[in-house]
Amino acid sequence: MGEVVVITSGKGGVGKTTATANIGTALAGFGHKVVLVDADIGLRNLDVVLGLENRIVYHLVDVVRGRCRLRQALIKDKRYDNLFLLPAAQTEDKTAVSPEQMRELCQELGEEFEWVIVDCPAGIEQGFRNAVAGAHKAIVITTPEVSAVRDADRVIGLLAGEFDIRDPKLILNRIRPRMVRYGDMMSIEDVIDILAIELLGVIPEDEQVVVATNRGETVVQDPRSRSGEAFRNIARRMKGEAVPLMNLDREGGWVEKLRRLMGFK
Amino acid sequence: MKAEATELELSHGLAHLVDDHTILVRRTLRSGQRLCYNGNVVILGDVNPGAEVVAAGNVIVMGVLRGVVHAGANGNEEAVVLAFRLRPTQLRIAGHITRPPDDETAAPDQPEVARIRDGVVTIEAFPGWLPGR
Repeated sequence: MGEVVVITSGKGGVGKTTATANIGTALAGFGHKVVLVDADIGLRNLDVVLGLENRIVYHLVDVVRGRCRLRQALIKDKRYDNLFLLPAAQTEDKTAVSPEQMRELCQELGEEFEWVIVDCPAGIEQGFRNAVAGAHKAIVITTPEVSAVRDADRVIGLLAGEFDIRDPKLILNRIRPRMVRYGDMMSIEDVIDILAIELLGVIPEDEQVVVATNRGETVVQDPRSRSGEAFRNIARRMKGEAVPLMNLDREGGWVEKLRRLMGFK
Repeated sequence: MKAEATELELSHGLAHLVDDHTILVRRTLRSGQRLCYNGNVVILGDVNPGAEVVAAGNVIVMGVLRGVVHAGANGNEEAVVLAFRLRPTQLRIAGHITRPPDDETAAPDQPEVARIRDGVVTIEAFPGWLPGR
């Protein structure tokens, strides 16, 4: 039985879909058989981020309603033969699926894939409940902003209270070490102080993410990308490897290095 | 979306022009909107990515077609898709499904028409093909 992991955040725009695409691609790159499930019915994005939008014929709601077989709806990734996407419907809404149906679907996917990664919609309403229903584990993603951390905290509480997912892991996304150093941004420690869950990884802010995403690519494919490296490290930790957090202070170009050499912080 | 097809009084001698029902849509279809019609569809606007048009007959878009379109959805292989700018995410005619190649270069800035020729979905510049020629 494969591992069913939901990636959730409460707040929108903190990087659920980007994280799902990158972690899935990284795990596939390590040779695992992976399926990504877009549970954001009505506002699907994962297909666009992966550059697979034009291959969609059937979607999750078709599978649940019995309009097609699961096999027919799975879309193979462009780059990895062992990475698949189950796209969401765009012309339906969250009420088209029930938590019970999602549970069955995840169960069925788990029999064939080593990793089932569910991209959760923003919010804590039915879409969230559907996405979480079939998951064994959860990854909560947040950015170092008070509003995002507040929503992450709410979601962690809901996961433990209503869904019996007690040990979610944390991804801290879009951190800017320089701002943290100057005290203008919450630090990793500040966020962990509040959320008090295990840290799975930290992703530095990276403009390349925008570039890659708009092209339907992922940063993990780029061996030089810092955020890509961070996502690859997260995938390795998910596999059970012990990988130390990377040194974020290495960021910045030669100006930054010169500053440090000269003793400026 | 519902279409109320009203029977039009046609002048004598023009009856042969009537084939199927046709609806006119006077707006842009946005992501998540789906238009299904048992006849021809004419859209005075764009069809954005994430929107879907399904028609038993032909589809004409007087704008940019960027979404998914399915003409001849009941199996009519004679159906065509015509757009001022044809940039579909995916284009289906009857039982054929096509999508633009991944490495697509800039598409031409002129009206184009897609239809099935010799069992393959073919796209041509619109003035290059007119019915009955």
